Amino acid sequence: MNPRREEHEITVGFAGNAKKIKVKVDDRDLRPWDLETKFQTVGTDQARADGVAKVTGRARYAYDINLPGLLHGLIVRAPIAKGTLKALDLEAAKAMPGVKAVLATKQPGARIRFAGDDVAAIAAETLDAARDAAEKVRMEFTAEPHVTDVLEAPGAPKLDQDGEVTAPWPERGAERIETAIQAARHVRSATYRCEVQTHSSLETHGLTARWYGDRLTVWASTQATFGTRAGLAGTLRIPAENITVHTEFMGGGFGSKFQPGIEGVLACRLAKAADAPVKLMLSRHEEHTCAGNRPGAIIQIRAGVNDDGKITAFDYRCWGEPGFTGQGGGTRAPSDYFRDTARRDTQDNVATDMDAGRAMRAPGWPQGFFATELMLDELAAAIGMDPLEFRLKNDRNEVRLAEWRQGAEAFRWAERRNKTPGQPRAGGDPRWLHGCGLSSAAWGGMGGPGARVTCRIHADARVEVRNGAQDLGTGLKTVLQMLAAEELGIPVAMVTPFVGDTRDPVGPASGGSVTTPTMAPAVRHAAALARRELAARVAAKLGVDAAKVACAGGQVTVEGGQTLSFVDACKLLGSDTVEVVGERFPNHQGYANSVAGCQFAEVRVDRHTGLVQVLDMLAVQDCGTVVARKQAESQTLGAMIQGVSYALHEQRIVDHLTGRMVNGDFLYYKLTGPLDMPAMRAILFPVANGHTNVGAAGIGEPVAVAPAAAIANAVFNAIGVPVRHLPLTPDKILKALARARRV
Amino acid sequence: MRPFELVVPRSLAEASSMAGKGVVYKAAGIDLLDRLKERVEAPEKIVNLLGFRAELARIERSGSTVRIGALATLTQVAEAEVLRGGGFGALLESAGEAATPQVRNRATVGGNLLQQNRCWYFRQAAFGCAHNGRGPGCLAQEGQNRYHAILGQDDCMRVHPSNVAPALQALGASVIVQGGKGERTLPLAELYPKAPDARGAEHTLQPDEILTAIVVPVPGADVRSAYRESREKLSFDWATTAAAVRLAVADGKVRECAIVLGAVAAIPWVAAEAAQSLIGKEPSRANFEAAAKLAFAGARPLAQNAYKVPVGQATLADALEAAARR
Ligand SMILES: Cc1cc2nc3c(=O)[nH]c(=O)nc-3n(C[C@H](O)[C@H](O)[C@H](O)COP(=O)(O)OP(=O)(O)OC[C@H]3O[C@@H](n4cnc5c(N)ncnc54)[C@H](O)[C@@H]3O)c2cc1C
Repeated sequence: MNPRREEHEITVGFAGNAKKIKVKVDDRDLRPWDLETKFQTVGTDQARADGVAKVTGRARYAYDINLPGLLHGLIVRAPIAKGTLKALDLEAAKAMPGVKAVLATKQPGARIRFAGDDVAAIAAETLDAARDAAEKVRMEFTAEPHVTDVLEAPGAPKLDQDGEVTAPWPERGAERIETAIQAARHVRSATYRCEVQTHSSLETHGLTARWYGDRLTVWASTQATFGTRAGLAGTLRIPAENITVHTEFMGGGFGSKFQPGIEGVLACRLAKAADAPVKLMLSRHEEHTCAGNRPGAIIQIRAGVNDDGKITAFDYRCWGEPGFTGQGGGTRAPSDYFRDTARRDTQDNVATDMDAGRAMRAPGWPQGFFATELMLDELAAAIGMDPLEFRLKNDRNEVRLAEWRQGAEAFRWAERRNKTPGQPRAGGDPRWLHGCGLSSAAWGGMGGPGARVTCRIHADARVEVRNGAQDLGTGLKTVLQMLAAEELGIPVAMVTPFVGDTRDPVGPASGGSVTTPTMAPAVRHAAALARRELAARVAAKLGVDAAKVACAGGQVTVEGGQTLSFVDACKLLGSDTVEVVGERFPNHQGYANSVAGCQFAEVRVDRHTGLVQVLDMLAVQDCGTVVARKQAESQTLGAMIQGVSYALHEQRIVDHLTGRMVNGDFLYYKLTGPLDMPAMRAILFPVANGHTNVGAAGIGEPVAVAPAAAIANAVFNAIGVPVRHLPLTPDKILKALARARRV
Repeated sequence: MRPFELVVPRSLAEASSMAGKGVVYKAAGIDLLDRLKERVEAPEKIVNLLGFRAELARIERSGSTVRIGALATLTQVAEAEVLRGGGFGALLESAGEAATPQVRNRATVGGNLLQQNRCWYFRQAAFGCAHNGRGPGCLAQEGQNRYHAILGQDDCMRVHPSNVAPALQALGASVIVQGGKGERTLPLAELYPKAPDARGAEHTLQPDEILTAIVVPVPGADVRSAYRESREKLSFDWATTAAAVRLAVADGKVRECAIVLGAVAAIPWVAAEAAQSLIGKEPSRANFEAAAKLAFAGARPLAQNAYKVPVGQATLADALEAAARR
């Protein structure tokens, strides 16, 4: 049955570019908020709903769950990178003191796909007892030659001594692009590289499992409570309704925690075998090496541009480095510059005998944007055009065009840019080279149907909103709280949000930046239903016609009669709590299906030591309706920090002889720290998109797309030569400077 | 880690008498615990020296020397009143920039001098090398070596990890050690092997010897010292190269100079020739850069650490310049 629809005229777009459109909305849903909506709570700064619990240590993460009789689980892993398991003997391990369960996860004959592939699992009274037992596991392997250096792997392109791909361009789809390249006034070709980045979540993967007969409860560090429940149900072959997943707090996932994972499944199996609760959380080294990563990439681009700065040809090819699966290493170049450009996009994967890549915060985009945006600056330099002007000339996204202008002004782009790249500032310390760079950002993240929210109103005027999905740290609890408060017209302090318990209504996996855009319309709908239900209850108590009572703006008004405050109205409920469930209806056609943003960075480079310091960053970002301003800004700043780290520091370093990562820690796997952080500003660019009753769009990922590109461009502006290989460590900077001196 | 017995000795003599196979001393334990957790070491008995903090954590001047108790923390050293003034600059800077505030507040200066190297092969149970006794050769030589040695390598590519050692050595410090046979004093340079190799230990103390103090001569009025290090990031990073220098300038000419480099060789690396080359010269950037070139003239970089040569040169020139400007 088709839902009945109601047509509303709403105002979408952004200030200075407002448009009226008609949207057809399910008649159970609400009229979408739009540019003309006046908010009371939405868009304001509110303290994170669980901020105090987090900073005082009261928040309990999966890692913090301790149950009586808890055992500690451990995975025994293969030391070889490729081959087969020849023999496995667990008897000695089983006989070790404190050991309660030992399981084989592979049988002799099974393939070993990377150093760290699971072979067995142990649960013991202490983690040290489990480690002692692990040393007693006898494993034999038939090792085969492995390849962990992407450049040595079959299918990898050959690079010359300058790091340029030597292979000819592919023939497939060549005709149009070749013609465009031939016709272009200026053509440039270059190869860019990105190293593997690990998610480096502070809380490692894993969970605590406890069985009650055939029912299972887990406390998981996951960004998909319902996905984890489904994954466990499928693997353990028990009904999903027998499983409860708790994730009230979550120590980071960044795309690596959608499934229970082998570690989660094994915790449950060990708990069953030992008949006791088991906690199994990965060690830091395992987290770096067995829990996914952002694939490395080799990207070659050739592009043609005319004298006036119009890009006429864009040929992009990428060899992704997704590990043993040989799949999922694709990268993504921006598209808004090339809407009317001859364009080709070729994606290949190069398999290595390493852990498989996983989604990581805008999977594939930071790599592609880094390569493309740096190429754009190289092209701009070749024709003597300012990079901003070059963007304005080619960008076809009207939101971003406005953002470029706002950002450039706020950043004082024209003034701060180094007009003589490679030269120090006049009158400044000649040792330091300063430069500024920019990059576009983009993403989708409009969310979709499938979530529901329970809203309860109690007689003491406390409002409870519940959803079973997780707040992976982005601020979902605060979003739920603020939206309920807005719709009910009451202070946020009166609303208590609950998330991360699969007994509550279903919610999305936190991937693709959809959590807020998916949840927001559902909680608003729930609060609206609760508001109407409260009015109906008040009407019944007062004995007036329900149609004459309305609840809005924090008051209950009886037509032609009295007005009750929200608190007084709730008192009439007695023990008869209001409970409603709000729905998430499908998106309707609104304004723009993607979000746009841009970022600016200023760096200085020590020409003696090659050290790059990011001094200042600015992001201008659209995320539709800004619900929780502080949390949205915080997402942006966090992405910039992670981006500085990706641009300057992070790289997986592998011993190719053994296939083992040598820097699987936080000493030599370098994460940016407080002293390395720039001054940062986030400007949220309000766009009414009209897709749902709230019109929120994702922000976690778009803001992670641009930082490395903007920083690499700033370095180019500072030192006058592009450094095309991330991370931009001192050794590479010095090499580039030396090359620049030679030419 | 594996279970061990933790003993708290009542006297240094008792501590010394407890030495033997499977026994290790512990100061703050920052280095030691890392090794235990990684299971590259599993002592049976750990002798905790921290109980001697009352006696061994003082920093005091007596006559022409400053005596730094081995259990003084890096923070104590960095903030010590008696070390104020340009002469001790290298020591203050090296202690004040090491690690993180949390580590500096616990880490002892003795432990810092005696900590084991941070080679990623040496320190992981999964790797066996000649130096950790579980393998035949050096894995860094042909493997991953961007943070390894460029000077004086024999058959092990480790670098000395201490910030403080080059500074103390440049200031001419000695160490006092107490063992079963009594107390002895030796120049800090002799705390480390002359010809470090894979099989040998990283320091020269006998198993029953405890480092009790470091004695630093108070630098002359015209002596200045400085410490500079290069890093890949500014918040808590191990130095990729480090330079501690002592310099005296008289009548516009360098009268005295000592240079000790960190993070480039298996021991704090004395660049005597480079230091000598500056004597009688003007303390100018150009001269400092020439001396820095000389200091690294014998460098033999590995496949991934050639950057350390120019970076080390710049760092040394910076240290010299900083000292000259004090
Ligand atoms: C995150 C991090 C970053 C770091 N960064 C730096 C850095 O940038 N620069 C730097 O220099 N260091 C750095 N360190 C190392 C740190 O400074 C040392 O680990 C610390 O100084 C060791 O002191 P401790 O008192 O903890 O020694 P312990 O761990 O207790 O002892 C170290 C070793 O010395 C022996 N020992 C200690 N005291 C005595 C004694 N009095 N007599 C005989 N033997 C003794 C012990 O047996 C042990 O083998 C870092 C460490 C960490 C964890």
